[in-house]
Amino acid sequence: MGADLIVLAQQGFPTPMGGATLAHYLLVSAIMFAIGLIGFLTRRNLIVMFLCTELMFQAGGLALIAFSRFHLEHSGQTFVIFVLTVAAAEAAMALALVVLLFRKRESLDADEWTEMKG
Amino acid sequence: MDQIIHPIALYLGLALVGLGLCVALPRARVSPQIIGGILAAAGLGVVLVLMGLKSKDALPSPYFYVFSLVGLGAALRVVTHPRPVYSAIYFILTILASCGLYLLLSAEFMAFALVIVYAGAILITYLFVIMLATQAPTEDRTEGLKAYDTAAREPLAATVASMALVAVLTGMLFAGSAKLEPRNAGVSADALLLQLPRRVEDGLKDAGLIDRKERVAYADGKPQIDVEGRRAMVTGPDGERWVGFPENLGVQNVEALGFNLLNAHPGSIEIAGVILLMAMLGAVVLSRRQVEIDEEAKARQARHLMESRGAEGGA
Repeated sequence: MGADLIVLAQQGFPTPMGGATLAHYLLVSAIMFAIGLIGFLTRRNLIVMFLCTELMFQAGGLALIAFSRFHLEHSGQTFVIFVLTVAAAEAAMALALVVLLFRKRESLDADEWTEMKG
Repeated sequence: MDQIIHPIALYLGLALVGLGLCVALPRARVSPQIIGGILAAAGLGVVLVLMGLKSKDALPSPYFYVFSLVGLGAALRVVTHPRPVYSAIYFILTILASCGLYLLLSAEFMAFALVIVYAGAILITYLFVIMLATQAPTEDRTEGLKAYDTAAREPLAATVASMALVAVLTGMLFAGSAKLEPRNAGVSADALLLQLPRRVEDGLKDAGLIDRKERVAYADGKPQIDVEGRRAMVTGPDGERWVGFPENLGVQNVEALGFNLLNAHPGSIEIAGVILLMAMLGAVVLSRRQVEIDEEAKARQARHLMESRGAEGGA
């Protein structure tokens, strides 16, 4: 197993991966996405809600990398770079907004802002 | 039956996972998180074992099970932990487990970029904001948990909706992924070397197979590199000759990824740069704005102040 990992580190893509192995990774990715979604829907703390969106990004990234490995194609990994970029930008904006909201109401409760209509 | 798992078994396993998640979500009085976690892990274990039994020849590495269990367990704690700081720290654990999965999928560059960017930068920003946006415990209020952190909103509906989504996704996916053909199955991983003649030259030089004056030969503007036969034509003062590649000459993950990024998606890099710039500007503008505290919040602060004064006076 250790030798396998070293070979992996040296080459772009070694042997092709089976469809069943792909399905394992996609199952983990789907469940991670579901956990993030549940957290986003149920938690009422604004910061934890945004943390759960990051969890969903993470699940999407895992699915992309698994498909990249399955198709022996690097575009999936390239796309994860852009997912990381967007996640960083989103974190910066969202956290600035959260700090602003917190300074106004002294609370992180999402239910405090139910009257905000746009 | 070429399905990876029987659909009924899959749905039952997912229902068990959903039940566990629903039980584990924080509630006002009791939150049996350990029971919920065990239920969810049991459901996931049933699905994984059944999948493994169905396709014994194409099992993932044993590390896959370790990393995915750690990652999903930590993700569950992110969602259920009543203290946001702990949620953030468990999220770092999820990221590290995902990095393990990325390594198993031979995406080494992304694994390390994930640790640096996510665990190193984004999560630290989150931790800073959690520290900033938490009221310091005063004398009258001992450090307690907030009601909005300890009570989940609509746990049952959220779990049912999310697990229905997973059931649809995985049901479709497992019905089809056995028939899915890999796109680049016949292409050698080193085919990229055709476009990287200087890389081949450097590799041959490092192995001591050619001297400094020799170059990869070109014919009709194309480098004379035979990827299948693992050899290249080099030209120098002594004429042309074929040189076999050394054992370790191949395209590495970082090279292939960089080539793909700059060759196939140059416009996206510009757009990503613009997005980051706009986010930075937006964050600066937003955080510099003066905020008027709401009347209600002001009154609440004043009340707290009065109460603490009163408590001091009484004591």
